[in-house]
Amino acid sequence: MASEHVLRTARTASAAALLVLVAACGGGGGGGSSSAPTPVPVPVPIVTYSGADAARLADQGSFGATKTLIDAMVAGGSAGAWIDAQFAAPSSNYSDLIAKSVAKTYCDALSGSARNVCDRDYRSSFGVALEFYAHAVANPDQLRQRVAFALSQLLVASDFEVHSTAGLASFNQIFLDNAFGNYRDILKAVTLNGYMGDYLDLANSSRTAPNENYARELMQLFAMGVNQLNADGTDKVDATGATIATFTADDVRGVARALTGWTCARLGTAPISDNNAIDYAKPMISNAALYDTTAKTFLGTTVAAGAAQTASLDAVIDAVFNNASTAPYVSKFLIQQLVTSNPSAAYVGRISAVFANNGSGVRGDLKAVVRAILTDADARGDAKTGASDGKVKEPVLFSLAIARLAGFRSDGYAFYTRDQAMGQQPFRAPSVFNFYPPDYPLPQGGGLVSPPTKLLTVSTVIARHNLAYDWLVNGDAASRSEYTPLASLTGATGTQPDWSAWEAFGTDTTALIDRINLLMLNNTMSAPQRAALVTAINAVTNADPTVQARKRAQVALYIVASSPQFQVDR
Amino acid sequence: MAISKRDFMRLTAGAGALAVLGQLGRTAGVAQVAPGYRAMVGVFLFGGSDNWNMIVPTDGRYAGYAAGRGATLALPQASLVGLPGVPYGLHPALAPLGAAWSEGALSAVLNTGSLYAPLTKALYQSRTDLRPTNLMSHADEQSHWQGMRMRDVNRDGFMGRINDREAALPTPDLISLGGSTLALIGKSSSPLILPSNGTIVRNGYNAASNDAAVVARQAALTTFADAGGTGTPTQLSATTINTSYSQAATANGILTGASTVDQYFKNGAGVALTSDVSRQLLRVARLIEARGTLGHTRQVFFTSQGGYDNHSNEVDAGNTTTGTHASLLTDLADALAGFYAAMKALGLQDQVTAFTMSDFGRTFKVNSQRGTDHAWGNNHLVLGGAVKNRTVHGTYPDTTLGGPDDVDGAALGRWIPTTASEEYLGAIAQWYGVLPADMPYVFPNWTTWSTGGRGPLPLFG
Repeated sequence: MASEHVLRTARTASAAALLVLVAACGGGGGGGSSSAPTPVPVPVPIVTYSGADAARLADQGSFGATKTLIDAMVAGGSAGAWIDAQFAAPSSNYSDLIAKSVAKTYCDALSGSARNVCDRDYRSSFGVALEFYAHAVANPDQLRQRVAFALSQLLVASDFEVHSTAGLASFNQIFLDNAFGNYRDILKAVTLNGYMGDYLDLANSSRTAPNENYARELMQLFAMGVNQLNADGTDKVDATGATIATFTADDVRGVARALTGWTCARLGTAPISDNNAIDYAKPMISNAALYDTTAKTFLGTTVAAGAAQTASLDAVIDAVFNNASTAPYVSKFLIQQLVTSNPSAAYVGRISAVFANNGSGVRGDLKAVVRAILTDADARGDAKTGASDGKVKEPVLFSLAIARLAGFRSDGYAFYTRDQAMGQQPFRAPSVFNFYPPDYPLPQGGGLVSPPTKLLTVSTVIARHNLAYDWLVNGDAASRSEYTPLASLTGATGTQPDWSAWEAFGTDTTALIDRINLLMLNNTMSAPQRAALVTAINAVTNADPTVQARKRAQVALYIVASSPQFQVDR
Repeated sequence: MAISKRDFMRLTAGAGALAVLGQLGRTAGVAQVAPGYRAMVGVFLFGGSDNWNMIVPTDGRYAGYAAGRGATLALPQASLVGLPGVPYGLHPALAPLGAAWSEGALSAVLNTGSLYAPLTKALYQSRTDLRPTNLMSHADEQSHWQGMRMRDVNRDGFMGRINDREAALPTPDLISLGGSTLALIGKSSSPLILPSNGTIVRNGYNAASNDAAVVARQAALTTFADAGGTGTPTQLSATTINTSYSQAATANGILTGASTVDQYFKNGAGVALTSDVSRQLLRVARLIEARGTLGHTRQVFFTSQGGYDNHSNEVDAGNTTTGTHASLLTDLADALAGFYAAMKALGLQDQVTAFTMSDFGRTFKVNSQRGTDHAWGNNHLVLGGAVKNRTVHGTYPDTTLGGPDDVDGAALGRWIPTTASEEYLGAIAQWYGVLPADMPYVFPNWTTWSTGGRGPLPLFG
């Protein structure tokens, strides 16, 4: 048949030489450090502090409630007291992995299983994920780790594309180090991180043809968002009601040019021409020959011709960090990660104001931001009952919460065997857009969003259920090969659940259910649910009273862990 | 089967369904809907595939192509897979699809993309209010392609809205093997989202058990499955969780049991395909094979392939026919060729149409790392026996950097699309059976793309 390829005839030509490809907006968004500080509302201290409230704080600020944790929270007398104690807890770290920075060809001389183990241990996310899980299960700096994990889903670099255990560890160390630090420091450290440099192509971006990848995502994903925001996180709109872009194509180009001239550090004394000896675990270094020394303009800022490379870098970081949309964008993201998927505009506005000014004139103070998020009236109190309240437990939070209930000590491997099927392998997001976008719609939710719902499919629902069943009903250590120390892993310790606290309930079904109700459902269990649980518990019998007590607790934990009420935090 | 609240879009042979349609006053569309089975199979190339190297002009325009892309990126003319009858050739990695072209089962669509209104460069410059929002952003352009609202928030997708207009079925006939994504979300309907590999069996659950402890345990599970009064997110999650259990039981046998279609998913050397996109399309073929068991006379599938955001190393140094993009296209072509062979074996090649989508096209000009950056208009492939014989649709742009089709301020080659994504996908939706009256529901800006000389591409016939 005749094809319809029509050679284009000339179309109305435009004489304009410069275009912007994204809707032009009011000045490209630039707030600037000179913008007037917003008055800081002082969060109202919560005086009364119930166990259920503490259990909710555990959902929000830790990797899962335990009796020990709730007791400590209640003993502190307020959410703020526990949070302040967490600020002082010594930080988990990946220092042993960061020290394992090796050349790309490090494993090449090996073959067979030895090669596979080498690649796994030096050139994948495996080691970082295992340490992440091991620390999350047991280490006391729960809040720091939880905030770091949230940040790792905002500023994403992934083993899906770049394979370096030390590099990935160094990248995530940024979030542990700065979880209670300043967001500007995070932006700068991430920008210069060698692993990120490879992931989003900033490394070796050259003045001859600047790579726009990092420039765009720095603005769009890591700081400002794509639409200009009011301080309360709602979209600004123009006269026609349309959203307004935070940046233009010219801004992308300007930032890309300002960020030229960086390359990954090299191992030892290797020259920068040696692309095998890349040291992903160190910040990038200058390769001045690639740096664009001409004037650059972006986001209402101009960097003069001849400016030093570091001056261009700082100008970019300042412009992005001080953009008016950055405070609500980052604040809302952190609220969604820690507390609720659909925060009220007023809640976002209160946190955004703290981001803009911590009360001492400092912008981007995450310690103040995190404290404000978790002590806000919209976060505290007993279980929230509004129609829009709720946050689906993403897979990592689901598995860790169950593990902490079961008293795990773990080297992380058991989690690693499970996470892919649930759709969330830490530090292996499918793209820079994380495992889910922050605006993923709740289907049929009437305009509500539910980011983790993107990870609720037939297969992941089954995988979540099976984890609960296998780790709880079938959760005795001797029966689970995934708990056995992995022979090929140096220093493997495997996984050991500790059921003794649950066995201690003996035949006291009421006390058992009360504990489960507190730790897992924030005391929201209904009377029919309790009755059904009693029947299920009493149907489990064993001649050995300890075994019977354990099996009863395991069944009860499984029934509740697989319930929608546990899988959605309120 | 709860059908009373829903409109029907498609009709199957059942007299009962016809009667219901009559009650709904929808009989006007009945005659326009073809009887028998049909399926549309979307393949979303996540990241923005550089399809300016997927299909290349082979006539006098090749010189402009080669000049614009440069020696670093341009495919040698001799390397292209010729398409007899048209002055275009395919990337050599797409050679497995050459036979389908020869059989008249492959089409290409040129320079299509997100558009809110028809645009010239002058109009683009003067009327920012006519541009899709946040062009060149992955997330926004994916939402444009999947949600089909170019200037508004997308909270549901075109496949989900097609599903809204169909009869509710025990097992939804909108099925994703490529995960959960906006395209699948309906205003009132839910998709079936299945894994691309592995089994889906609920451990420890046996509805027929006589063990008193198991019976009591499962009764408690049922009690806890009711999330009434817990707020919208919990209640809707409960629905998802509960339906997933029953859907898994249905789907597992189809995905893991015996099948006649697996044998077709092999590469040219006879080696079984292992790429994720091939596993997805293999399972699509299985679900099509099992359409009778599922009670499906129409099926919409979403599949995906990731990794196309090739800002660097899109091509190898010194060889533009190899590199990251070529590897991805090899996997895609092998998977699609296997899928088409499977449809032929089922005798359904004229009733199943596969088609590609992607975030956006990429800059025509190469960057400093043998990669390309985000752009706009792009080319796509349509595969199936129903397509018009050996036809390339749409308009190839003037590839002069900074020329009349290039809206990029630095002349990197970002082409204004000349065919709206609605004109492309709308043609497939109509072939599938979406009634004219439902097109504005499925494609909210349909009026723009069906009047004033615009309309769906003549892909079929």
